[in-house]
Amino acid sequence: MSTQAIESLSEDTVRRIADERDEPEWLRQTRLDALAALETAELPDVIQTPGRRWTDLEALDFEALVDPLNQADETERTAGDDEVVVLPFTEALAEYGDVIEANFGSVLDPEHNYLTALSVALFTTGTFVYVPEGVDVEDVTVRAEMNSRSLFSQTLVVAEESSSVTILESIKTGESEVADDRYFSNLVEVVAGENANVQFGSLQNLDTDSYTYSLKRAVTDTYATVDWIESNFGSKLTRSDIETELDGDGSESQIVGTFFGTDDQHFDINARVWHQAEQTTADLVTRGVLDDVARSVYEGVQDVGEDAWNTSSYQRENTLMLSDDAEADASPKLIIHNHDTEASHSATVGQVDAEDLFYLESRSIDSRTARNMLVEGFFVPVLEEIAVDEFRDDVEDLVVERLQ
Amino acid sequence: MSSQQDDLKETDTEARFEFKKEEKSAFKSEKGLTEETVRVISEDKDEPEWMLERRLRALEQFQEMPMPTDWPGQPDLSEIDIDEIVPYIRPDIDVRGGAESWEDLPEEIQDTFDKLGIPEAEKNALSGVGAQYESEIVYQNMQERWEEKGVIFCDMDKAVRDHEEIVREHFMTKCVPPSDNKFAALHGAIWSGGSFVYVPENTTVEMPIQAYFRMNSEGMGQFEHTLIIAEEGSEVHYIEGCSAPKYSAFNLHSGGVEVFVGEDAHVQYSTVQNWSKNTYNLNTKRAIAEKGGRMEWISGSMGSKATMLYPSTILKGRGASDNHITIAFAGEGQDIDTGAKVYHNAPETKSTVESKSIAKDGGRTNYRGLVHIADGAENSSTAVECDALMFDNESTSDTMPYMEINESKVDVAHEATVGKIGDEDIFYLQSRGLDDDDAKQMIVSGFIEPITEELPIEYAVELNRLVELEMEGSLG
Repeated sequence: MSTQAIESLSEDTVRRIADERDEPEWLRQTRLDALAALETAELPDVIQTPGRRWTDLEALDFEALVDPLNQADETERTAGDDEVVVLPFTEALAEYGDVIEANFGSVLDPEHNYLTALSVALFTTGTFVYVPEGVDVEDVTVRAEMNSRSLFSQTLVVAEESSSVTILESIKTGESEVADDRYFSNLVEVVAGENANVQFGSLQNLDTDSYTYSLKRAVTDTYATVDWIESNFGSKLTRSDIETELDGDGSESQIVGTFFGTDDQHFDINARVWHQAEQTTADLVTRGVLDDVARSVYEGVQDVGEDAWNTSSYQRENTLMLSDDAEADASPKLIIHNHDTEASHSATVGQVDAEDLFYLESRSIDSRTARNMLVEGFFVPVLEEIAVDEFRDDVEDLVVERLQ
Repeated sequence: MSSQQDDLKETDTEARFEFKKEEKSAFKSEKGLTEETVRVISEDKDEPEWMLERRLRALEQFQEMPMPTDWPGQPDLSEIDIDEIVPYIRPDIDVRGGAESWEDLPEEIQDTFDKLGIPEAEKNALSGVGAQYESEIVYQNMQERWEEKGVIFCDMDKAVRDHEEIVREHFMTKCVPPSDNKFAALHGAIWSGGSFVYVPENTTVEMPIQAYFRMNSEGMGQFEHTLIIAEEGSEVHYIEGCSAPKYSAFNLHSGGVEVFVGEDAHVQYSTVQNWSKNTYNLNTKRAIAEKGGRMEWISGSMGSKATMLYPSTILKGRGASDNHITIAFAGEGQDIDTGAKVYHNAPETKSTVESKSIAKDGGRTNYRGLVHIADGAENSSTAVECDALMFDNESTSDTMPYMEINESKVDVAHEATVGKIGDEDIFYLQSRGLDDDDAKQMIVSGFIEPITEELPIEYAVELNRLVELEMEGSLG
């Protein structure tokens, strides 16, 4: 099945985006190649079980949603240290063009699928983060507001040898009035050099007229660590893929995911790790809450390659259902090609524990408050993983807000 | 252990499964699948018109459906060529519908089953034995006291004629319709043989009912149908065993099993499968459990080139329950893709799945399972546990579960682990005088003990014997 063509899209559109930003030839060509790839590229894989498709990406009307020449955003960036580079993607090209050219697309193939090709062809915003060798920096923040029908963002993080950085990237809907639905696409590439340490936190809280696509990918060098924190609270439909390739011996990755769905929100959350080298470690943790008629869909993949000796790989996914009409689907997968592996995964779905409720109510706490306390408690294990204080506070606030 | 004893041991265990008899049949259909083939099968079996009509409709469905090609990580089915299959062979015996005593069978058929130990097993413990040789039940027996209680155990061909009303109502209608999947449609078109079990209300069959299937001719398919109806408050344990000798051409096994578990009834269905390494084993097995009904699937998958087998239960009535215990063993060139499917369609339903797999010499095991909890199935619970053991770096072990939860008042848990045989465990056993081979065999036997405990002695013995056979030479 080929995805619908977007008739309003043409090479002229792409050239104009590149010209307005005075982009180098290699990037213009990359955009044009991505545009051409749209003819054959497929939408992201969606799980199919007998009689049932878990997410209907085919229903998205890209002709209506994609408005490439009117993209608008307001983004505020802070660097916790003057030794780290935190720049708008377009500005960074002037001074760091060589580094960007060398790393762009090395981790995330622009033609990975239809949605990545669309995003690479059309992106107008995003951030370049560069951490020089040996530099240790905390609290890099990128706070974006979306002010248009569609917005395509490209983020590239390059962490050199023995560097360390924590990054928070957030997106919400701005004040401008846009009638009808919106589409936000966010691609993130993390290149983690030898012994580098990257924590990348993401907070998505777009309004419920939005569709969000997000693919964040990392490749780890020897002894490197990449930890992801993926928080989704907004959007009508969210498709999120977080992926790490553990290419270096002794490298590690943790993927922490949270979501809280209300009304008719649909979250399609995926976490994947590939163990490609010796003594690698992965830990995937996802906690979600569903209320009203919200729906969550989860796929977690732990893939251990033939050369991945002495692998440790773990995965836990837990969903709490507050409503009888909510729906939760999950598919944790283990793909093991090297026997020198300790791997496990688990998944649970349930409701607020009746005994816990009873105990709190017996202490004169009313039923509603008791339930809310238990839901906040449910998120504690993932909140503890968030190193950025500001980020942790934001997530806590959003949970409380949804419990009112 | 002396080398002479080693040779003797190997001869004994190998000989058990490797013999074959010269093919001799009274009727053999042409290769390939056409409407004419189906009509000939139906006519030869003297079937009523409605069964022929169903076969022809299933044939149409088979021809319309595509081969499965896009399941994640599915076994390679490209070698299967339906036109090369001989769907129907009836053995040359005088008594149609099965012999009533052992001595009535032709000598060479007796000899085949003597080697498999069927008569001794029957004499010692079993309620009855239905052995399927080629496409037709050639030996049927049921102990007299169960016949007096109204328990029916006969071959499926006979059931179509003698118990037409109840078979017509249940056969490939609600439980496994031909439209379910391509191989169910194939099965519906050319099924042959198998067992029919009917247990009246409040009747308990204390000893297991056993059927044993065997494929002996090169290139033939095996399409037996098992239909079990356990009425309200009844209880029955059915055992199915399979083995086939090696041939260079592929064989296709596409069986169908339908189990109707009545209100408060209890059915246990046990299988040990050891198809030869050139067999494609593509079964469809399903149960429907009414209120308070209890279904148990216990299966060991040891042989075949590729297996796709996912026993399924629809928990239709309040308080129904389903338990699965499976073991898969994949050696060189094998792809064993097994699992379980459970549909919780009513409140207070429960399911458990326990899966263990072992992969060595480049074999692949995959657990593929689906748990679906429907809207309204409140206070249901399910627990799934998958454990995999890998012997070496050429082997592969995958786990692919799917959970679909439409109801909030439920408890759902799934966990899986993959590991290797621990060097420490081996070292400890070796320090107690065991050699490497024996130590590993002991560890594997311990790994599968939760499953062998659920099987009758005869099957636990055979399963351990098969493990022993598979383990031999693993460190040669």
